[in-house]
Amino acid sequence: MKLLTVIVLLPLAGFLLNGLLGRRLGRTFVSVVGCGLPLLAFVATVKAVTLLQATGPDAALLEVAYRWASFGDRSFDVAFYFDRLTAVMTLIITGVGSLIHVYSTGYMKDDPGYARYFAYLNLFLFFMLTLVLGRSLLVCFVGWEGVGLASYLLIGFWFEDPAKAAAGKKAFITNRVGDAGFLLGLFLLYWALGTVNMDEINAAFAAPVAPAVSASLVGVLLFIGATGKSAQIPLHVWLPDAMAGPTPVSALIHAATMVTAGVYLVARLHGIYEHAPEASQVVAVIGVLTAFFAATVALVQTDIKKVLAYSTVSQLGLMFLALGVGAYGVAVFHVYTHAFFKACLFLGAGSVIHALGGEQDIRKMGGLWRRIPLTFGTFAVATAAIAGIPPLAGFFSKDEILWFSLASEHGGSPILWVLGSAASLMTSFYMFRLLWLTFLTPSRMSHETEHHVHESPFSMTGVLIVLAVLSAIGGFFELPHFLEPLLPIPAVLESLERYEHTLVYVAVAVALLGFVAATVMYRGGLARGEALAARFPRLHRLLDGKYYVDELYETVLYRPLHWISDRVFLGLGDRLLIDGSLHGLAALTRRASGRLSRVETGQLQWYVAMAVIGVVGCLVWVWRHG
Amino acid sequence: MADTQLLLGLSFVLFALGLVGVMVRRNALVMLMCMELMLNAVILALVTFSLETATLSGAVLVFLIFVVAAAEIAIAIPIVLQLSRQRSSLDVEGYDRLKG
Amino acid sequence: MTIEQLLVYFFGACALLGGVLMLVARHPMRVALALISCMLSLAGIYAMLGVHVVAVFQVLIYVGAVMVFMVYVIMLLDVRDPSFLRRYSRVLLPGVVLGALLAGALGISAIRLGAAAIQPGASAAPSYLVQPFSVEFLREYWLHFELTSVLLVAAVVAAIAIIRSGRRSDG
Repeated sequence: MKLLTVIVLLPLAGFLLNGLLGRRLGRTFVSVVGCGLPLLAFVATVKAVTLLQATGPDAALLEVAYRWASFGDRSFDVAFYFDRLTAVMTLIITGVGSLIHVYSTGYMKDDPGYARYFAYLNLFLFFMLTLVLGRSLLVCFVGWEGVGLASYLLIGFWFEDPAKAAAGKKAFITNRVGDAGFLLGLFLLYWALGTVNMDEINAAFAAPVAPAVSASLVGVLLFIGATGKSAQIPLHVWLPDAMAGPTPVSALIHAATMVTAGVYLVARLHGIYEHAPEASQVVAVIGVLTAFFAATVALVQTDIKKVLAYSTVSQLGLMFLALGVGAYGVAVFHVYTHAFFKACLFLGAGSVIHALGGEQDIRKMGGLWRRIPLTFGTFAVATAAIAGIPPLAGFFSKDEILWFSLASEHGGSPILWVLGSAASLMTSFYMFRLLWLTFLTPSRMSHETEHHVHESPFSMTGVLIVLAVLSAIGGFFELPHFLEPLLPIPAVLESLERYEHTLVYVAVAVALLGFVAATVMYRGGLARGEALAARFPRLHRLLDGKYYVDELYETVLYRPLHWISDRVFLGLGDRLLIDGSLHGLAALTRRASGRLSRVETGQLQWYVAMAVIGVVGCLVWVWRHG
Repeated sequence: MADTQLLLGLSFVLFALGLVGVMVRRNALVMLMCMELMLNAVILALVTFSLETATLSGAVLVFLIFVVAAAEIAIAIPIVLQLSRQRSSLDVEGYDRLKG
Repeated sequence: MTIEQLLVYFFGACALLGGVLMLVARHPMRVALALISCMLSLAGIYAMLGVHVVAVFQVLIYVGAVMVFMVYVIMLLDVRDPSFLRRYSRVLLPGVVLGALLAGALGISAIRLGAAAIQPGASAAPSYLVQPFSVEFLREYWLHFELTSVLLVAAVVAAIAIIRSGRRSDG
């Protein structure tokens, strides 16, 4: 039976059932369908993985679902392709996705839009699975756009608040800007190679005869698409605003799965990037710059979700750094570990917000470790994981990224390593800052909030425990080695080979340094932090204002566009030309008919005269023709 | 020994005069009388043609025209009477309710 | 130029004069009298041409019934309304021009068709005297005669309808 098609269609069925019938059939139905179908998809994925393992290390399952379009002798199929890379991504999507669905049954329990929420969440899963399982870039693009749509719907879930709706719109539009690059890359590939199937594209670039299109050009264009989807500079502005959506949405879409679609795309098309050193360099540089600058902004954020959002942007930057130096498998490894600990962090933040009845400002938290111990425990484990403390998962993946950023023959350089390590240092620092200020410092909560603090229900804490365990032990599975038949591990410069172990110690030291610094600064509360901010006010303001990128875009892009749309297109084009011509036509008709109606005078003798003119005319005509 | 052409010419002139009268005069009854003049011109033309072609059918048609003219005038004059009663005037310039 | 021809010309001139007078006279009664004289002249022409039946019936029906009715109505109504003071309508000039054009067009059509001179008073042709004409009329064209009676019935119905509507609008 068509296993891959079934995997993709199960969440779609969930969307249709919950969307059409959910409101009428009640919460239990929605929960069962909404969580059950993704779980079934996970089981099917496991089955597919076992089938794959039985076949071989670089084998792939291929299913053609149906023929989409055909012109002449060319055709486009909807086909699903399952190799080891896809297996990893699909397991993450269905596994972590199912966990987050279960968490949502607790978190969104009292929300009136319960059925709509689960419908959208299942829709998202459907599109995400289409994205990773698609064989051709076209099917992948369908999923690409679809997850953008689902993201828009879910960010703006509470759309009655115009700010939240605007955040959804911003996400979607920023994504679309990136998609222009994706499409151009797609067109160039089809024009040069005659195929859009990703496995064939990789083979074409590896062939002895180089294709007719520059690999770097295509690589950069596709990376622009990835920038939009994975929130890299300069299209990163939508991700912090996307925190307006419900917290499980932030966990699923903006931490574990959708934002990693860009990483998946570059990793899947590694064949292009292996032969495009300039494009790879662009990827690495943008990645490390994003990692660095996002980390600096996260240092001063005071909203718990915003800290995690900038942290996500920063971690994505590290993934692109790995991709840029040719360590594709390592990047996917970091996707895998990041899914666990970031989802755990976001869901933990959701648990905190739930416990405090909606408070998200860390300046008004503190002392929660005793009141909500389970949340605290899992949050602490995840924080240690993201900081890179061994032997938790984050340590393994981050260490490999930093090693290859220095030593890879495919573009590694010391500058990349320095910036990457600085970003890691800042990551450790701000994450432990978050941990201290939220849970461990003396309480700064209001009396009312303190009264209400309670641990979350098991549907939420159970998921947190599972994710924390995975964050702890996930690193022991050697993913890059598992993916090596598909995504080769880059060669390392001879001269630097012996420094591999030294760098490991440096990385651990960096993580611990961050922890110590955060403890020193924030152990007693906000005081030391605020004093430091008071000493460097302008720097603090720059970081707090996120380098004023949003304001820059507003002035340079948004206002001129708005002016052009308003004055030129609306005023001139629409009102003057189109409406004017239509109204002019109507006025012309009216005036002409007014003039013509003067023929009907109502005077009998006038009509007789008209008739006589006609008779004379007829007589004349008879002469000429009779 | 009258010339056919002369008689026909007279018929055409009388017809044109009648038509001009319908167009030009303002009194409704005078208009009706000018229409009678047109009919008479037609009768003259018919008689002329009947004599020229040496058949009876022209004259027979003249008879029918007599009947029609009588019936027509019998109905037209009461209509004009009703019309003039509404406007209390026989001036056709005032009958412009169909003005559009 | 025989006396018959002269008479025909004379009657023709009278008819023409009557027609012109119709357009020029102010009082509708005078217009009616001009029309009567025109009709009598035409009857004279028919008589000169030998078509006695038509001449007689012209006088009997047209002058005797139609014009009498018209004179009666003129006498009944007050004709001294605005149409009395200002005889001519707005289309005076265009009307005259068009009438001239029409007459010219008709004349040219007639010339193109061509016509032969006819002999008034000839006897080879069918007789238009009363008795032979009537016999021939009712023998050949009796159906047309009956159909005219249908037309007259329609006229009677129309007259009744007008009387009724007149009564309703009066009441």
